[in-house]
Amino acid sequence: MASTGQSLTSLKKREAATANNRDGDQLIITPLGAGNEVGRSCVYMSYKGKTVLFDCGIHPAYSGMAALPYFDEIDPSTIDVLLITHFHLDHAASLPYFLEKTTFKGRVFMTHATKAIYKLLLSDYVKVSKVSVEDMLFTEQDINNSMERIEVIDFHQTLEVNGIRFWCYTAGHVLGAAMFMVDIAGVRVLYTGDYSREEDRHLRAAELPQFSPDICIIESTYGVQLHQPRHIREKRFTDAIHSTVSQGGRVLIPAFALGRAQELLLILEEYWSNHRELENVPIYYASPLAKRCMAVYQTYINSMNERIRSQYANSNPFEFKHISPLKSIENFNDVGPSVVMASPGSLQSGLSRQLFDRWCSDKKNACVIPGYVIEGTPAKTIINEPKEVTLTNGLTAPLNMQVHYISFSAHADYAQTSTFLKELMPPNIILVHGEANEMGRLKQKLVSLFADRNTKIITPKNCQSVEMYFTSEKMAKTIGKLAEKVPEVGETVSGLLVKKGFTYQIMAPDDLRVFSQLSTANVTQRITVPYSGAFAVIKHRLKQIYESVESSTDEESGVPTLRVHGQVTVKQESENHISLHWTADPISDMVSDSIVALVLNANREMSKVVVESEPVGSEEEDARKAEKIVHALLVSLFGDVKFGENGKLVISVDGNIAHLDKQSGDVESENEGLKERVRMAFQRIRSAVKPIPLSA
Amino acid sequence: MGTSVQVKPLCGVYNENPLAYLVSVDGFNFLVDCGWNDHFDTSLLEPLSRVAPTVDAVLLSHSDTLHLGALPYAMKKLGLSAPVFATEPVYRLGLLTMYDQYLSRKQVSEFDLFTLDDIDSAFQNITRLTYSQNYHISGKGEGIVIAPHVAGHLLGGTVWKITKDGEDVIYAVDFNHRKERHLNGTVLESFVRPAVLITDAYNALNNQPSRRQRDQEFLDAIMKTLRADGNVLLPVDTAGRVLELILILEQFWEQHKLAYPIFFLTYVSSSTIDYVKSFLEWMSDSIAKSFEHTRDNAFLLRHVKLLINKSDLESVPDGPKVVLASMGSLEAGFSHDIFVEWVSDTKNLILFSERGQFGTLARMLQADPPPKAVKVTMSKRVPLVGEELAAYEEEQNRIKKEEALKASLIKEEESKASLRTELPVNDQMVLDANNTHSSSNAIGQRSEAFRDVLIDGFLPPSTSVAPMFPFYDCSSEWDDFGEVINPDDYVTKDVNMDQMLMPVDGDLAGKLDEGSVSLILDTTPSKVVSTELTVQVKCSLIYMDFEGRSDGRSIKSILAHVAPLKLVLVHGSAEATEHLKQHCLQHVCPHVYAPQIEETIDVTSDLCAYKVQLSEKLMSNVLFKKLGEYEIAWIDAEVGKTENGMLSLLPLSSPAPPHKTVLVGDIKMADFKQFLASKGVQVEFAGGALRCGEYVTLRKVGDASQKGGSAAIQQIILEGPLTEEYYKIREYLYSQFYAP
Repeated sequence: MASTGQSLTSLKKREAATANNRDGDQLIITPLGAGNEVGRSCVYMSYKGKTVLFDCGIHPAYSGMAALPYFDEIDPSTIDVLLITHFHLDHAASLPYFLEKTTFKGRVFMTHATKAIYKLLLSDYVKVSKVSVEDMLFTEQDINNSMERIEVIDFHQTLEVNGIRFWCYTAGHVLGAAMFMVDIAGVRVLYTGDYSREEDRHLRAAELPQFSPDICIIESTYGVQLHQPRHIREKRFTDAIHSTVSQGGRVLIPAFALGRAQELLLILEEYWSNHRELENVPIYYASPLAKRCMAVYQTYINSMNERIRSQYANSNPFEFKHISPLKSIENFNDVGPSVVMASPGSLQSGLSRQLFDRWCSDKKNACVIPGYVIEGTPAKTIINEPKEVTLTNGLTAPLNMQVHYISFSAHADYAQTSTFLKELMPPNIILVHGEANEMGRLKQKLVSLFADRNTKIITPKNCQSVEMYFTSEKMAKTIGKLAEKVPEVGETVSGLLVKKGFTYQIMAPDDLRVFSQLSTANVTQRITVPYSGAFAVIKHRLKQIYESVESSTDEESGVPTLRVHGQVTVKQESENHISLHWTADPISDMVSDSIVALVLNANREMSKVVVESEPVGSEEEDARKAEKIVHALLVSLFGDVKFGENGKLVISVDGNIAHLDKQSGDVESENEGLKERVRMAFQRIRSAVKPIPLSA
Repeated sequence: MGTSVQVKPLCGVYNENPLAYLVSVDGFNFLVDCGWNDHFDTSLLEPLSRVAPTVDAVLLSHSDTLHLGALPYAMKKLGLSAPVFATEPVYRLGLLTMYDQYLSRKQVSEFDLFTLDDIDSAFQNITRLTYSQNYHISGKGEGIVIAPHVAGHLLGGTVWKITKDGEDVIYAVDFNHRKERHLNGTVLESFVRPAVLITDAYNALNNQPSRRQRDQEFLDAIMKTLRADGNVLLPVDTAGRVLELILILEQFWEQHKLAYPIFFLTYVSSSTIDYVKSFLEWMSDSIAKSFEHTRDNAFLLRHVKLLINKSDLESVPDGPKVVLASMGSLEAGFSHDIFVEWVSDTKNLILFSERGQFGTLARMLQADPPPKAVKVTMSKRVPLVGEELAAYEEEQNRIKKEEALKASLIKEEESKASLRTELPVNDQMVLDANNTHSSSNAIGQRSEAFRDVLIDGFLPPSTSVAPMFPFYDCSSEWDDFGEVINPDDYVTKDVNMDQMLMPVDGDLAGKLDEGSVSLILDTTPSKVVSTELTVQVKCSLIYMDFEGRSDGRSIKSILAHVAPLKLVLVHGSAEATEHLKQHCLQHVCPHVYAPQIEETIDVTSDLCAYKVQLSEKLMSNVLFKKLGEYEIAWIDAEVGKTENGMLSLLPLSSPAPPHKTVLVGDIKMADFKQFLASKGVQVEFAGGALRCGEYVTLRKVGDASQKGGSAAIQQIILEGPLTEEYYKIREYLYSQFYAP
């Protein structure tokens, strides 16, 4: 992937330099959407063969396949976990597509409230979106199927999938919004999703994670802007509405059906109950979801703040007295002043657009845009107050209605972002979810803010990978019998290394049962071999081959036995049979095989018992033989092996030369890699040609 | 060396008394559970009182009296002041349970062990956690991580996992592995080989019929009584198992379109159900699923009516009905009163869904055969009348006068103090109906107003809401009687006091159901009148186990699966404890403890451990073999030191010494048989051995299902004559194992 961003290239160089010295593990983060843009959030992350995808949204300004994140950049089948932060379309709406139409087979997690609202919202999205059938990304059925696969996670609950540990914090943005912390082998990545550090009427503020992450992937929607204090915004909002309706105008509030709308309704409800004179002005909440989502809001009261919860103890704060639901424009009796909150928030289509078309040319009316508007949508166009607008039917009309832009979208502003990051102190910050310009400005400010701290701030574009290297020290815990004494430097430790997830334990084989669910087994083998000759013959022959052949008699039957190599027992079962008895392991198996061969041979050559002379001078000969074999094996491995001075071997591979001392096994070479390989090869060869030790 | 762990039972061992245990992990004292019984017997708490001040943290596992009943008393009287940890439902439902207990007791006696305020203040400081949330303890217990996990018995019920340095101490009492209507089964089985497991023997001797059968019997018994024109009383707990019963009844009534009324009668029933409705996250998957799909909250009750007052029940027209009333012990509460009314009618049925606490009326009635007649005390709180009232009022007046005198002396002092403190203490989220703007704005305005009044001519920094030094007019007027007092000064104080208290009041009022408590909370003087009478037990009595605990057989198999290194048994009758202890010694692990009250046992693991770093060089030559969720490799390494003094493992410079071979893996004869069959080997079981092909036999020696204990290594014997087949089968056998 091309690296056009300057910071990116410099980062790569620096990291590459360190990577050479010490081979760290590569961590890759690639935004598949929301890189230098707002919409279709989707961030891919991979480390140590584990892969996580954060969010799976669509871009509201596009339709059909164009709205999807760049899924073709990745192999969906490799993703282990997909984490959805909240239910907004730009964070969750491509999930049915991803689950049903790609090879993705990992697990999906979101919070309880998100899951409940996700279904409502997407079903509505499918119904509302006016695209041809072939452009439809997914159907109602796909959504229902996806519900089966989505698993839920509660705030702070720690889960582990395939060695990936993750948990989530409150994000404050909408009901059920979460920030995910992912921990892979000790490297922590925080993905904030959309978050807000300000407590409002019903939501808690985003929490500050207990641990500082190594990488923070953070939204930058509002860049360096600062929000007005909340009460001023609320006053502007209510004032604008109040003055419009008192002059007989109509107010349109285009808003996302769920999420911030509930906050605005709480504000309006409170204002109306405090202003008796407004009692006759109706407020409509025009969303087919309005009623259905209420049950969700009433149920997940525990995800909201203390204020709502204490109100809930008395009455349900989401049961509105002044606000009535409105099903469709047909049911709307448009006489006199009114306030209508309608979805969608960006005025592309649907009820909010119909009302806008109807009301936009009357200057008494007003449109209050209460949240962030995405580039390329009609809502963004009218914020700039053009003289004329194009209606849905293609005609143009003068834009006379007043347009107010008062943001209640719960995204962090610069003040919140900078304090959040200052307290969190992540060494790496990756900005996503922001228009390129805003993001750039935020980056500049953050760079100067963290100038003294060597913090890396990166703003990757879509599909641009950020690569980082982490050398995680692998720690193992030695337990059980092996750990009875802490070893000194230079001593040897031998045991089973047991890896589970990313934790390592070293233990003696006997302890395996105790510390893990694995068990060990002993296989005892007994094989009977036909043999009718004298037992002594076998004994004689065995003695010629094996260093240790002990004879004794079986206690029970009194038949003579031989213990060969301290492991295999040979027993004369009857006149015509002998049996071999041993506990399975590679050496014993080999010994027993050789005994079997010997016995079979003895059977065949029964008649001729030859007393061979004791071998002489075997030591030297053995050594010479061994040397020959070593040489031959080395040649077969490395090709060019010559005899050098004082018994050394000179091995040259691709111009690199290594000197091998055959006695000590020391290797000298310029090239580290070759040295290591030669050393290893020589060790293995040596252990192969040496006689089998008895002590095993 | 391992982490030091001591366990000291304070209550509830070798019997079914409430639960309270002291678990010290490296000197950090956890009080796990803090239970009391329905008699509120203070003698039970004596051991607790001796250690209460040394407790560093309290962990609560369930929301019933047996698990947390003593918390308010211990906090108030015994000097317990440690932070408390519980899940949200345990906190909420526990609070309601305590309210219900208090109100029930207060109705029938001069209950003075603790008050509603004590309950509130005890519960106020509970830190609420969610399942599988790892909470890192700071300060003294640095390095200890606690995490609640699903227990399955009650809503929010907890199996506590205390971890330090990778060693787990698990406290799991009253768990239920079975999935129920409203709860998921416990996740206890997912913990393997913890260092210490503390569990109960309560159900070790009981075995349950299948759930379906039991549910059917339960409903049959109720229907039979209702059809015979009788009433059914279910003595239940306040907010625990009753939820499952309600769901069973709801579903059955819905399916069969029944019209018999069902009542749920406790002092807090409507709050209970309201809160339960918002605890869907904590309930079973099926409940969560049905909500996601249809947005139908399972606890949106259609058939069960919630009552908080017995007079409401009396106003119901006569006729067969089902009443679920607290307490389950029949010692107090509505269930007691209803019992006395209904017990002597043969048509009625009293259906116990849980074993009564020892020594309670419920337990007596569950005896076999049930007693013919029982003595009960009917107590009633009545308003004072006539002379008594007059005497009471006189007394009150005298007290009031004294207090007024005292109060007036300190009033001035107080009023000044209150001025100083009122700004900071203003609750940010106080709801003020008069304020037209947001609450934060309201705060701004109010503090603004104060500034205008108090600090005339002195301009504070506009951003500050910090307490300001109040401005006193020193040139106060004096007359013959001293300083002229302006009563308004004191009015402000009162108003502010009210506002300060409001959240608390609101909370309390919401949690309690108004009206029900009127007689207890209002100031009408009243007294308790008791009459003892003996009632004939004529109605039917049935006990069915709806306790939602794993039964004896499951407990044993779960323990065998969990296979702790050390096991501590608590809570359960002496026989049950002894039985389970013997069983576990044989089948689970060699270290089983069942300590007596106040006996401190040391369950520090004798496990040795040290940490090493695995060098890259070593690891690059290690080839792991995957076995289930484990990966295994054999390593031979040399010990070295890193720059910072850590031990590290480096590759050996000399050839590795040979080592004894281990075969890792678990072989099941049946599985292996299938495997051989799939390879085309003729195979059959013959006399406990597996006969492979014509001559080769494979036998397993020793009981392989026996878990724990280091001796239990599988012994497999392969026998046969020298044939090709022998080697082939050996090959197949080896392929089942990993031999590093």
